[in-house]
Amino acid sequence: MFKLNLKIALRNLWKNKGFSLINIGGLAIGIASCMILLLYIVYELGFDKANKNYDTTFVAYTNMEANGKVNSWAWTPGLLAPAIKEKFANVVNSSRSSYPYPSLISYGEKKIKNRAIFADPSFVKILGFNFLSGSEAQALQNINAVILTQSLAQKLFGNENPINKTVKFDNTEPLTVEAIIADLPENSSLKFDYIMPWKLYEKKQTWIKEQGWGSNFCLTLVQLKDANSIDQFNATIKNFYTQNDKNADNELFLHPLAKWHLYNEFENGRPVGGKIDQLRIFLILAICILLIACVNFMNLSTARSEKRAKEVGVRKAIGSSRKALISQFILESTLLAFIGTVIAFILLEISLPYFNNLLEINLIIHYNDYKYWLTLVGLIIFTGLIAGSYPAFYLSSFEPIKVLKGFSLKAGSAFSIRKVLVVFQFVFAGCLIVCTVVIYQQLNFIKAKPIGYNKGNLIQMAAQGSLQDRKKIELLKQQLLKSGAAQQVSTLSMDLDQGGNNTSNVSWPGSNPKESILFNERGIGYDFINTIEGQMLQGREFAPEFKADSNKVIFNEAAIKAMGLKNPIGTVINYGDTKCTIVGVMKDFVVESPYQKVAPTIFYPAAKNSIGVILVRLNEAKNISSSLAQIDAIVKDINPNYPVDRRFVSESFEEKFQDERLLGILSNWFGGFAIFISSLGLLGLALFMAEQRKKEISIRKVLGASTGNILTLLNKDFIKLVAISNIIAFPIAYIIINNWLSAYEYRISISFLPFLIAIGLSVLIAALTVSMQSIKVAKANPVDALKYE
Amino acid sequence: MIEIKNIEKYYANKGVKSYILRHVTTSIKQGEFVSIMGPSGAGKSTLLNILGLLEEPTYGEYHFMGEDVTAMKERQRIELYRNHIGFVFQAYHLIDEMTVAENIEAPLLYKKIPGSERKSRIADVLDRFNMVAKKDLFPNQLSGGQQQLVGIARALVAQPSIILADEPTGNLQSAQAEQIMDLFKKLNQEEGITIVQVTHSEKNAQYGNRILTIEDGVIKEDKATRLE
Repeated sequence: MFKLNLKIALRNLWKNKGFSLINIGGLAIGIASCMILLLYIVYELGFDKANKNYDTTFVAYTNMEANGKVNSWAWTPGLLAPAIKEKFANVVNSSRSSYPYPSLISYGEKKIKNRAIFADPSFVKILGFNFLSGSEAQALQNINAVILTQSLAQKLFGNENPINKTVKFDNTEPLTVEAIIADLPENSSLKFDYIMPWKLYEKKQTWIKEQGWGSNFCLTLVQLKDANSIDQFNATIKNFYTQNDKNADNELFLHPLAKWHLYNEFENGRPVGGKIDQLRIFLILAICILLIACVNFMNLSTARSEKRAKEVGVRKAIGSSRKALISQFILESTLLAFIGTVIAFILLEISLPYFNNLLEINLIIHYNDYKYWLTLVGLIIFTGLIAGSYPAFYLSSFEPIKVLKGFSLKAGSAFSIRKVLVVFQFVFAGCLIVCTVVIYQQLNFIKAKPIGYNKGNLIQMAAQGSLQDRKKIELLKQQLLKSGAAQQVSTLSMDLDQGGNNTSNVSWPGSNPKESILFNERGIGYDFINTIEGQMLQGREFAPEFKADSNKVIFNEAAIKAMGLKNPIGTVINYGDTKCTIVGVMKDFVVESPYQKVAPTIFYPAAKNSIGVILVRLNEAKNISSSLAQIDAIVKDINPNYPVDRRFVSESFEEKFQDERLLGILSNWFGGFAIFISSLGLLGLALFMAEQRKKEISIRKVLGASTGNILTLLNKDFIKLVAISNIIAFPIAYIIINNWLSAYEYRISISFLPFLIAIGLSVLIAALTVSMQSIKVAKANPVDALKYE
Repeated sequence: MIEIKNIEKYYANKGVKSYILRHVTTSIKQGEFVSIMGPSGAGKSTLLNILGLLEEPTYGEYHFMGEDVTAMKERQRIELYRNHIGFVFQAYHLIDEMTVAENIEAPLLYKKIPGSERKSRIADVLDRFNMVAKKDLFPNQLSGGQQQLVGIARALVAQPSIILADEPTGNLQSAQAEQIMDLFKKLNQEEGITIVQVTHSEKNAQYGNRILTIEDGVIKEDKATRLE
């Protein structure tokens, strides 16, 4: 029976090639889209879960109240890790590690700039890296040791055995390679290429030892014995900082490592979701696209019911039970789903590299993972069942006598369900169009919003090696300007477009000691404003002609507003332990998120602290590539031991849009697919309708209807459905997209445009699809259809 | 074999009852070959459908092989189809996607007959109907008469005790019709299969041994045919 049914199903597919193509094509695209999205979801859900103890490991977070809200960071005092382990029996292990910062590591003549971190020995034990050589037990005990990842070892040593070889860190520290670990998976929050001992960090950065409980500069990982009682434990440690130091009023809590990536937004010191919300959207998208493809199948199958009805009647009359018929139809749809999946697979393999490139992630198909195959089989069965269920129950319900008596199905019930299904498809498509358009509008709005400086033709170079010497920087500046490659040169204490140090240790006349304001702090060099092409609103910037600038500061607009100063210029403030005079007010410019308001910032003269980056404004009158070559030569000359490390600010600024860009791309692509699949379904339905109404159309033509009249007639019904779909879709889309937008401080207001686009596009697509098919019927010779009756 | 008593069938439309069958009472014995005749719309086909359990009478009693079928559940009815009743339709109603052999095999599959026996029975039937060469063709590759032969073969292969045929030759040319009627007669006489057919043709009716004439839903005449 099964074999025969299978054979018949295949013959049916072959006989109705057009329908089969539409059905399988729609299913394949639907399944492929669903699989890509599921792969992406699995990738995101798997973040940090490759670590051995991920389920018992926690990241220590500091809650700090400032600017009237609670900020939560994964940065903690260096004192925390040892203290928490000593105090609580529940803590198995705790470790400190530094921010991964690209630093120079060299072996002989090979100099590579890669991400370095400093960490306690327990860091390695907690995360349980995969040691390819060297021992975990001894790791990072020795102050002059280094652990390399496999790919870095490969780059430095090639085929040599790296163990016990000596590499140089930052051209100064000789370190012995004591172990090689496997590369970290792409989806880990902690990303680095080599690990050095924390002790070395303390030796190199002497300030660390002086830091108390109020200074947050390292990442603390805590491994608990009993991870289930985390809420209780969090309640116990809440005031741990204050218990150790009365002046430290920040609060502490532990965030599970497994949730670190996905639950990355905090409100009032508690996790409130974050990336997980976006992931949920993608999951819904995946399911809906699959459903749309299933709906196609249902629609086309029931539309063809008249053709199948006879078979049902005969089968029933010769003794088939309804159950047998249902299983036959389900078998057919499962077969279709299977073929669809095979094609989807091919599509997936072809498109995956493209998507990986587009989304800048690395999705792979785990062929040797049984869970993957299980999901695939599950997907086929699910699709087969969903897609086959309605046709199966509908077709098998025919009474044999009715279908055998030269029957006509009542157009009523089945047709109205088909209508509902089409409406469902286009509601979804309409929602997606609206959302996609709004996402793009928002993205463009943010991108077009003035950021307060000119990021084009601006490069930043890390100040390292001899470039940390102020005199060398001065020399570099002169040479760059002389060469004509640069128009302006200045310095900044850290990357222009990255977050960094901040302080709340600022007071001014009239400041409220209870209400603290968090200021970003940046050290700037001379000619800063001209280099970034920013603007001073009041006063002046630091300049060499003012000798006593070392105790002067500049604030940005946002800071002055937050402080409530009427006449800021000349006001004396307390900044840390020193008294400083405000000499200028700078116009706000975007540093961290272009979506949020600019944070209050205090600028001090570069002389006060180390220099992080050198900013160079390229000479626009000259050819950029030759300018860059010139700059590289000059830098190399002054700083021969380091590779030139420069980036365009505009490029790194672009990374801020990664999340939204990804959302935009995904919703655009998959929205497109959803619409495409829906129109495939519509095409099939139109195909069927035209076939069914052949006689009616022929009679109308004989009575004098033109091709245009017939097209209008056939299109009217479908256009009506699409219009209804849009009316249903709009409020839903409005709610969704409004919700999405509300997360942004700067956002567009929702206009009519996305809705107009949605209705225009869907009507256009529907009309095109339906006409493409019905024009054939409308133009056919009426006699062909009539003579059979 | 078949006992019907006071069968009535009507459709109520906006309170007006339109009768198809009124007070039909008759019985058909094992081994009979009954032709139901009458003008169009007299209710012949409805009666046949009721006999074949495809339609339910509005009133009346129906005993098939001594069992009351009006109270039967779907499952039991399917069992009757599988084991006792074979249908032959005017429009043949073969399944287009199946070959001749597969069409004939279908009822055996539902009867859950083992594969080897299925093969021998199909071979047997094909042989008898001289259709061995055509067994892998699809219905649309056959002439009407050949299709109807397949239809009869399909009804026969399950070895039913009764064959119900609704104008089996209605769509056929006379030569082919004759062939089919001969076949029915042979089946009836040699194998003792009960046959009930609906027909318009007096000539075809003569193949059987009893004619039931229906007019306006009422049995007008019930007579034996001339013995040859």
